[in-house]
Amino acid sequence: MADSTQMEVETATKPAAPLPTKPIFKPLKAHEMSDGKVQFRKIPVPPNRYTPLKKAWLDIYTPVYDQMKVDIRMNLKARKVELKTRHDTPDVSNLQKSADFVHAFMLGFDIPDAVALLRMDELYVESFEIKDVKTLKGEHLSRAIGRLSGKGGKTKFAIENSTKTRIVIADTRIHILGAFTNIKVARSSLCSLIMGSPAGKVYSKLRNVSARLAE
Amino acid sequence: MAAVKDSGFEALEKLKSTEPPVFLAPSSISEVARAASQYLFTKLKPHNPKSPFDELLVDGFDAEQIWQQIDMQSQPLLSSLRHEVKRFAKSPKEIRKIGDLAVEASHEGDVDEMDMDDDNDVEDDDDELEADESEGEEEEEDGEEEEEDEEEEEEEEENEGIEDKFFKIKDLEDFLEEGEAQEYGTDYKNKKGLSKGKNQNLSDDDDDYDEEDEEDEDEDEDEEDEEFGAFAGDDNEDADNLGKARYEDFFGGKKKETKRTMKDAIEDEEAGDGNQGTEKLSTHEKELLKLQSKIEQMEKANLDPKHWTMQGEVSATKRPKNSALEVDLDFEHNARPPPVITEEVTASLEDMIKSRIIEARFDDVQRAPSLPTKSKRQAKELDDSKSKKGLAEVYEEEYVQKSNPAFAPATFSDELKKEASMLFKKLCLKLDALSHFHFTPKPVIEEMSIQTNVPAIAMEEVAPVAVSDAAMLAPEEIFAGTGKIKDESELTQEERKRRRAKKKRKFKAESANHPVKKARDTNTEIHNTGNE
Repeated sequence: MADSTQMEVETATKPAAPLPTKPIFKPLKAHEMSDGKVQFRKIPVPPNRYTPLKKAWLDIYTPVYDQMKVDIRMNLKARKVELKTRHDTPDVSNLQKSADFVHAFMLGFDIPDAVALLRMDELYVESFEIKDVKTLKGEHLSRAIGRLSGKGGKTKFAIENSTKTRIVIADTRIHILGAFTNIKVARSSLCSLIMGSPAGKVYSKLRNVSARLAE
Repeated sequence: MAAVKDSGFEALEKLKSTEPPVFLAPSSISEVARAASQYLFTKLKPHNPKSPFDELLVDGFDAEQIWQQIDMQSQPLLSSLRHEVKRFAKSPKEIRKIGDLAVEASHEGDVDEMDMDDDNDVEDDDDELEADESEGEEEEEDGEEEEEDEEEEEEEEENEGIEDKFFKIKDLEDFLEEGEAQEYGTDYKNKKGLSKGKNQNLSDDDDDYDEEDEEDEDEDEDEEDEEFGAFAGDDNEDADNLGKARYEDFFGGKKKETKRTMKDAIEDEEAGDGNQGTEKLSTHEKELLKLQSKIEQMEKANLDPKHWTMQGEVSATKRPKNSALEVDLDFEHNARPPPVITEEVTASLEDMIKSRIIEARFDDVQRAPSLPTKSKRQAKELDDSKSKKGLAEVYEEEYVQKSNPAFAPATFSDELKKEASMLFKKLCLKLDALSHFHFTPKPVIEEMSIQTNVPAIAMEEVAPVAVSDAAMLAPEEIFAGTGKIKDESELTQEERKRRRAKKKRKFKAESANHPVKKARDTNTEIHNTGNE
């Protein structure tokens, strides 16, 4: 069959319908992320922070509701602060940040210090106990706590100011709020104080380190 | 056996006939030598019943091995010969008995000597011939030197003090005679007879033997051979003296001196003999003698080992102790020698010092200027008090400083700096005003301050001297406008309308700037309503 010298070319049948264009979705809102379900956070309130919470409620409420766009309420019966995402919460992390902020307040930090958690990403809270560092009992423990704070709290303030952190000494627990490296420095100075080094030694170390941190 | 003997004899003859240089080159002469040595060996066999070999085995044997065989045969032979000699020494009568034997033996001795003529430098034959020589000598001594012994013993008795088994004056003289004969070509044999003197050689054979012996020794360049021959000659004679070896025999101090004197005597003799033999020498001859002696001295110096200073690199072990002290050694110094302090030197120094003091030009060491140190970093003071700013504000300030340094609020240190700079400027102004001739007024610093329209009395002293209610503000500041002011009742309709329109326009402009406020929070409203 040499009718045609040319190759037989089958004309490809046209596709039935043109392929649909790739869909473009807008990024999910926090509200929609978990299939439209609402996310909650519940933070218990220790009894000693009950009255301060009442006093500083509006200072907590305003930034969380207005800037973070997260619903916040106090459950009096359960003695918990509850947080909930709204439909217009822009980012998922807002809820968590707000939770951290409230938790920091419960630990004992002041509002102006805790607000930094809302505003900056890289701030963390670290907690440890004195007995983690050194087993102390009775008077030794009391003396250690006294050494940590210093007269009128000056040692604690010195550490706070030089390392740009905030420290809360609650009986045998110690909480530090700040950036990661700053927390490390503050922790090391606190540990050296617990172990028994005099305040002067800690000051000199802080001077050196703070200069380096400031760079 | 006869045929072998003949062949052996022929071999010996052949050896004798060959030229000495032939022995030096490896040639077939070795075969001949081997045959000859075999022949000799068999000849001596009957005298030595104890030897283990019937004949000398030479086929395929090394020179060393052949020599060993000969040695094995000769050792017992030597001892037996010594024994025989002793016997003859005790009873000379028996010698005559062996006289006939000796004549026979002499033939063989001759034959032996012939091959001794040959040069012993050939390696293969050297050892053999030495042995042969010694054997031959031993054998001869057995027969013939017995006769000489007596005469030599006489000589010995005379020279006992000097001679021992190592040294024989007779041999020394003989050697010297040979040397002379070599040099001057005198009739050696005649000399020999003269020097020998007392020795009466009974047979020609003895003479031949002696001559040949001496010739051998002469031709032999090895002194060892000569010595060996001398020893061989002395061995039997001094067999008795062996047991009586003394220290003097080995290390006799006397001997050396006497040896020297003997040598001198011999030399004088030689000199005398060498020259015309006259006692008085001519000047030329004297000069010659002097030259000779000088030459000898120089030759001796050349031959002796050099003095240690001329030996090149010499370590301490190679030179005698403390010998370096005696020699004036010269070597290069790396450092300059210390200056010699003389009066002139000290005088010059003192002059310099005096002049320097007068000039006051001291070369004091000046402290090197230290490098410009970096300005001390502002040591951040540790703030002990509670910080007034919250943590958020701290970070805020930090961020602002990083991003936009212009708008950063002044830090505490900046404020202090500002205050300080202000104070200094004021001071400078005052000082300039005092010091400058031309007056410069105070610079005007624009400052803003709020003034309230409060009567002056309120702002001033509590108890005023005079009461005055002058306003703080000037009348222009109170009211700024033209003088024409119309009352309400005086306005016309159009003026009223104009006034209203102006008012409305004003109100609209204001409302546009401030938009309507948001509606209030519904939650609280609802809550409130709920409560209600």
